Amino acid sequence: MPVPDPRRRAGWLLAGAVMLLAAVLLSLTVGSRQIAPGDALQALFHSGGSDDAQVVRALRVPRTVIGVLAGAALALAGTVMQGITRNPIAEPGILGVSQGASVGVVAAIAFFGVHSLGGYVWFAFAGAALAGVGVYAVASGGRGGASPIKLALAGAAMNAFLASLVSGIATTNARALDEFRFWQVGSISGRDGEVIGQVWPFILVGIVLVAAMARGLDALALGDDAARNLGNNVALLRALGALGATVLTGAAVASVGPIAFTGLAVPHIARALVGTAHRWVLPLAAMLGPVMLLGSDVLGRILFPPSEVPVAVMTALIGVPFLIALVRRRSVVAA
Amino acid sequence: MSHSEAVATTRLRPAGHAVLRRGRVSFLLHRRTVLVAVTLTVLLACAVVAYLCVGESFVAPAEVVRVLFGRPSPDELVVGTLRLPRLVVGLLAGAAFGVAGALVQTVARNPLASPDVIGVTHGAGAATVAALSFNAVAADALPYVSVAGGMAAALLVYVFAWRGGLHSSRFVLVGIGVSVALGSLTQLLLTKGDYLVAQQAKVWLTGSLNSRGYEEAGPLVVVLLIGVPAAVWAARAQRSASFDDDTATSLGVRLGRSRLGLTALGVVLASVATGAVGPVDFVALLAPQIARRLTRTAQTPLLSSALAGALIVVIADLLARRLFSPIELPTGVLTAVVGAPYLMWLIVRTRSRSGGTAS
Repeated sequence: MPVPDPRRRAGWLLAGAVMLLAAVLLSLTVGSRQIAPGDALQALFHSGGSDDAQVVRALRVPRTVIGVLAGAALALAGTVMQGITRNPIAEPGILGVSQGASVGVVAAIAFFGVHSLGGYVWFAFAGAALAGVGVYAVASGGRGGASPIKLALAGAAMNAFLASLVSGIATTNARALDEFRFWQVGSISGRDGEVIGQVWPFILVGIVLVAAMARGLDALALGDDAARNLGNNVALLRALGALGATVLTGAAVASVGPIAFTGLAVPHIARALVGTAHRWVLPLAAMLGPVMLLGSDVLGRILFPPSEVPVAVMTALIGVPFLIALVRRRSVVAA
Repeated sequence: MSHSEAVATTRLRPAGHAVLRRGRVSFLLHRRTVLVAVTLTVLLACAVVAYLCVGESFVAPAEVVRVLFGRPSPDELVVGTLRLPRLVVGLLAGAAFGVAGALVQTVARNPLASPDVIGVTHGAGAATVAALSFNAVAADALPYVSVAGGMAAALLVYVFAWRGGLHSSRFVLVGIGVSVALGSLTQLLLTKGDYLVAQQAKVWLTGSLNSRGYEEAGPLVVVLLIGVPAAVWAARAQRSASFDDDTATSLGVRLGRSRLGLTALGVVLASVATGAVGPVDFVALLAPQIARRLTRTAQTPLLSSALAGALIVVIADLLARRLFSPIELPTGVLTAVVGAPYLMWLIVRTRSRSGGTAS
């Protein structure tokens, strides 16, 4: 892949920022009640008691902010997971890490009586970490190491296993079911400002962690031996990366439910635009992640009015063709 | 190996086999395979009796046997009317899943390429939920809808995975992708649809034998009656197809056609079973594997796969009914809790080399 010159990369970063702004604006204005962009901005920056202003401030703003946070978190998690596993289809959803976080949340609600995001986010971290480590252990076991096919299959198996656990808990615990039923689908609607207040510190920590290891990820891309020769502690890099991905995925899933494929598509798009250097890929992914999530969410609002399609469904429908194209184009299957 | 030599070797009787011959018709019987089939049948009979005994009220085995043989019994209602229809559907669906898995795994030469993995169950699910939510077809046409959905999904996977050939890894990866997409489509229909329809579809989607009865059994009987003999008849081609392509072609097997036919048969069986009991995951993956490991044969035994499939479903449903009684778990939850770890174990055991054959 040719390395784009810095000016072009800066240009793409700028374009990413513009797309992010556009996605935010769309998210604020499009919906069952169409609001003109000017009115939306008016409602944001000036007080006003109109119905439109109410809708924007009370519903659309929290939804949009949570979409930006979760989108950035999932895209960065995907970038890091692809980096540390050197595996093009690594992604929180496909590898079962999101589902692990879900099981953590569901167990926290059903068995430990934890009902606030600040409480169950820790269970989400634990679940995500266990699922991630489990999948990687299974995929890298046996001869040949963790090939994409083995990682994907282990992820599918883990997803099925954890989904059946969630389903089992939901069936036997009616009270818990009622509480997480709507969360479980993966949607950014109906989240209030409180969720944002509770989740942003975790996502910030995750972003800092991931940003700090950009150079390390570049080194890992060269192979373990090369990375070691460049003076990196490969095991530590992997552990830190896994920690970052776990925190980001856990926080995102705890706040919006399991959303797959954002972390798959975005890093590939970012790499295609600015090359493979992580100090360019990470910031662009952090902007394009929210673009994909908010874009999917807006699409979900206008597809079948007046009902809304949960954003997780939309990202999967957009992401799967991407996965198939990836599988067909690359030597992913050469294992 | 030259063509004539290949033919000559196939005429030798392999070790551990007996030959049944009547005129020009002959059967090769692998002794161990017969033994396994008999054992599985006995186990299945025990499981059937246990299934009918256990429930909200316990019925003595003797009474169960009386009911089964049509003798008058005070437990006629509980055993014959409440438990038996559900059991029959479970047995038939399990057998269909087992045979379907055996066919698809053999043709793909990969135990991971079971109907659940390559999108068949999700395709059948999406089609059924679509039919339910648009109220498009009569209830008794639903099995056909789910078969169409399963076939369409398999076709989709086939088309997307085809690239100058069918690499089994690409096949599986595309299968996973298509499964996820169809699962999302199903979710979309559920959120869009009427609340009552969504409830009904959701129960079905978790894969449960609850409130299933003889109506669901009809289509299963039909496909099994047509499918199993066809599969056995094709067993010779199937056996050759489980060699690598060159060997099979030199044995004179028309690979393309017989593969397509056997896969289609497997897909139909899995789809009909899914239509009857919902996506009870991993039975199609597990049953042939168990059968193969027991018989220790290179190719997957069809009859034992069917028996193993039926056994898995009956035991899973028995546990699903009683484990957290009075609450009933979906049967699919039980099979997934066992099946998914098994799939992982299989992945660990798989030689990554060219992503082809496993264990």
